[in-house]
Amino acid sequence: MRRDWKFYSQLGLTIVLCLFIVVPVVMSALAGVTVNVFKGLSSGLTLRWVFEVWDLYAQSILLSLGIAMACLVVTLVAGVPLAYVLVRRPSRMMRLFEELLTLPVAIPGLALALALLITYGGVSGYRSSWLFILTGHVLFTLPFMVRSVAAVMAAMDMKMLEEGAASLGAGFWRRFFGVIVPNAKPGILAGALMVVTLSIGEFNLTWMLHTPLTKTLPVGLADAYASMRLEIGSAYTLIFFVLIMPLLIAMQALADRGKHASRRIDTAEDTL
Amino acid sequence: MSTQIRLRNCAKTFADGTRALAPFDLTIEGGETIVLLGPSGCGKTTILRMIAGLEFPDAGGVISFDGDDVTRQSIEKRRVGMVFQSYALFPNMTVAENVAYGLKVHGVPSAERDARVDAMLEMMHIDMLADRRIDQLSGGQRQRVALARAIAVQPRVLLLDEPLTALDAKLRVRLRTEINALLRKLGITAVYVTHDQEEAMALGDRIVVMQKGEIAQIGTPREIYRKPQNPFVADFVGAANRMTGQMRDGRLHIGAHVFDAVDAFDPRHGAIIDQGAVELYFRADGLSPCDLDEAHFTGRVEAVSYLGERLRLTVSGIGPQAVTIDTHADDVIEAGADVHCRVNADRLTVFPAVAVHS
Amino acid sequence: MSSVEHIKEGRSRPSFPWAFPSSLFGRATPGAGSPAILALLMLPGLIIVAAFFIIPMALVAMRVADGPDGLATYFVILTNDRYLASLIQTLVMSGGVTVTALVLCGICGLFLVRNRFAGRNVITALLTLPLSFPGTVVGFMVIMLAGRQGVIGSITDALWGEKIVFAYEITGLFVGYLYFSIPRVILAVMASAEKLDPQLEEAARSLGAPTWRVVKDVILPGLMPGLVSSGAICFATAMGAFGTAFTLATDIDVLPMVIYTEFTRNANIAVAAALSIALGAMTWAVLAAVRVFVGNGATSGTGGGA
Repeated sequence: MRRDWKFYSQLGLTIVLCLFIVVPVVMSALAGVTVNVFKGLSSGLTLRWVFEVWDLYAQSILLSLGIAMACLVVTLVAGVPLAYVLVRRPSRMMRLFEELLTLPVAIPGLALALALLITYGGVSGYRSSWLFILTGHVLFTLPFMVRSVAAVMAAMDMKMLEEGAASLGAGFWRRFFGVIVPNAKPGILAGALMVVTLSIGEFNLTWMLHTPLTKTLPVGLADAYASMRLEIGSAYTLIFFVLIMPLLIAMQALADRGKHASRRIDTAEDTL
Repeated sequence: MSTQIRLRNCAKTFADGTRALAPFDLTIEGGETIVLLGPSGCGKTTILRMIAGLEFPDAGGVISFDGDDVTRQSIEKRRVGMVFQSYALFPNMTVAENVAYGLKVHGVPSAERDARVDAMLEMMHIDMLADRRIDQLSGGQRQRVALARAIAVQPRVLLLDEPLTALDAKLRVRLRTEINALLRKLGITAVYVTHDQEEAMALGDRIVVMQKGEIAQIGTPREIYRKPQNPFVADFVGAANRMTGQMRDGRLHIGAHVFDAVDAFDPRHGAIIDQGAVELYFRADGLSPCDLDEAHFTGRVEAVSYLGERLRLTVSGIGPQAVTIDTHADDVIEAGADVHCRVNADRLTVFPAVAVHS
Repeated sequence: MSSVEHIKEGRSRPSFPWAFPSSLFGRATPGAGSPAILALLMLPGLIIVAAFFIIPMALVAMRVADGPDGLATYFVILTNDRYLASLIQTLVMSGGVTVTALVLCGICGLFLVRNRFAGRNVITALLTLPLSFPGTVVGFMVIMLAGRQGVIGSITDALWGEKIVFAYEITGLFVGYLYFSIPRVILAVMASAEKLDPQLEEAARSLGAPTWRVVKDVILPGLMPGLVSSGAICFATAMGAFGTAFTLATDIDVLPMVIYTEFTRNANIAVAAALSIALGAMTWAVLAAVRVFVGNGATSGTGGGA
């Protein structure tokens, strides 16, 4: 491959974009562990800010994690069977329903939150509990779970598997939990990672729906940015990064594994 | 359009170290159709791409068109016409626009361009398809468009990379004949890559048989067919039957029988050998069933296939493995019976017995 | 059971009361569950969508008409100057970010797919990092870059003695929108670029086309579906972005901010509802239009608000 000026200018642009994305991340991570951010690294590293953030916001962080887990459970219970029905019995009604299901992703979170507030704002017990936020999260993440699982289900020949199991005497539920679901595991796993990541990072919806008692991590972040010192905001952001990073890496690894598997199948046929 | 192409000392090693081509020399005369024949991975497509300018030979290799050194010239400047296995037609353009593309790029004025495109489409019998989109065409039609597009720019050489492989058998034969006629009519230098021996023999003025990055033999179809110069070529062009024998004082001994006027050729040293163990390669016409008094060998018929024009027998007991013998379709021979055969010495290709197939 | 018999026969002519669910589910095939089971499987999802989306959205629509202007409130986004200005600002901002992101990511995405070099995978991973950032974190990133203690300010200070701070102006907002748009668009561009057929480019080159022609006649048309769909997603996300503008607290009144202030500060629910519906309808229409032209699966990259 010839490396000429065209190559290097494109590489330059790519590196600039990369720096644009990465530098603030690194900066805020560093600021979160620097003793005096105005003096810079020379003032030394400390975990003091991180501990302070924990003191102030532990509840928000834990709430976010809890909601993410709950969101996962709900989307699994609702989404996996839904994906099955959508793939196994496609019809016009199903497509309409799928369209409705995906609408919350196309519509801005603000509008969704507004709708929920108008409808259920009066139900005080529900409105002021974390369940209210959970509702919003589920609405937003369910389509991703369904899509992810449906993609894997569509790729495998479910009809053949089910007929095979049925011919051996297995009833529906046995087939569903013993054959269909295990085979859909890659899609379920990818969907699960997606749901958890989205839930932890959800802001637009949550900001509208939250109360002082039900603050999530991103809501706390907005607070910290507005009212706290730079170090606190940075340390809090750092905690967010640390939470998100393993999830992102896991998603990427899963995607790569899927790509390699399909590539192997393709090349097996290309012997000529 | 009848450019002479010369490759001297060209070799190709890829970035990861694999040796795709050993150094070789090849001269393609102007107007000649040369076929690069071999199994997949033998390097034939690499040679084609080197002539095209999509790959460059290792240092020291020289490629020249009519004496001009084009070794470092990129494909855009070489004025070659290329036909790909998957046709590579532009999906965002109509048939006419596809064929006109090369002319447009070269700045041919639109009136002349249109005239040339019309002439091309008519020559390829696809003038009624001018405004169709590519996805509306059949495989054979697409191939014709690809040819028209490549020829429209009046290239110095036409390069075809397995253009018929993706088509079904009947269409392949029909298009093969059309391509052959086209190449003759245009008088254009053509390099054609294929793994199909029949295609090679039908199209090529000369055939270059390749194996694992090396040229095994160059010759006319008749030479390749009648006088394969090494076991690989013999096997590749159909001489898959084998028998063992001995050369003694220049005469071939098979069992108790002696045959004169049969030469054993040693491909490694390029010379005729007089002594030593040899292997005989021959086709289904190397042995013929006959009466006992004429026979050299007797074997047992394992299977009989009626092929319409002839009867194909699988016979054991003559060579190390079963041999295929063809005979008249009307002969009455049954599986399980013994058959007496005589050797047709002029149909044998004899090589020294080597430990393993090359 | 009658429905099972009908399933065995492979016909979809069941008797009442199974008629309705069966027609919903299409033709019966052996091996799949009966309509009753399928309905059960769908129940949780159905309840969620109906109770927490369809009904609330319907209520929102009705609330608009409750306002002082009645049904005319639906069009307030067009009739009121302030809201119209906000809409135009948002459209221009979103459009500008989309075009910029497409151009930048088009070049870089193609480059990353076509060239192997040490560190390529790292760069790709880094560029897609912000996909999961909430809008508020993106705002913070802009502050890190261009705020009073920002790195850009420090650089310009060192070079030219003047500290440039633009985090809280429109440039800052633009940069923020670009920050969350680039990862989305570049992933789509790279996926599209991987599907390009190299033989098409070789064919064009064999016919004499120089690089710029190959880009214009072969590469861009080939990338177009991917560019259009990722452009639509980028546009829709930018239109609905709230967290970034909120954190940067700029003077720019993008539509989501206007909706927010109308609802929380002015308690002007009817107007907020009307604006929300208008915004939602616009973003949905853009995505639906793309789906019609490019096909399904194109808009599956929407993920995460900003």
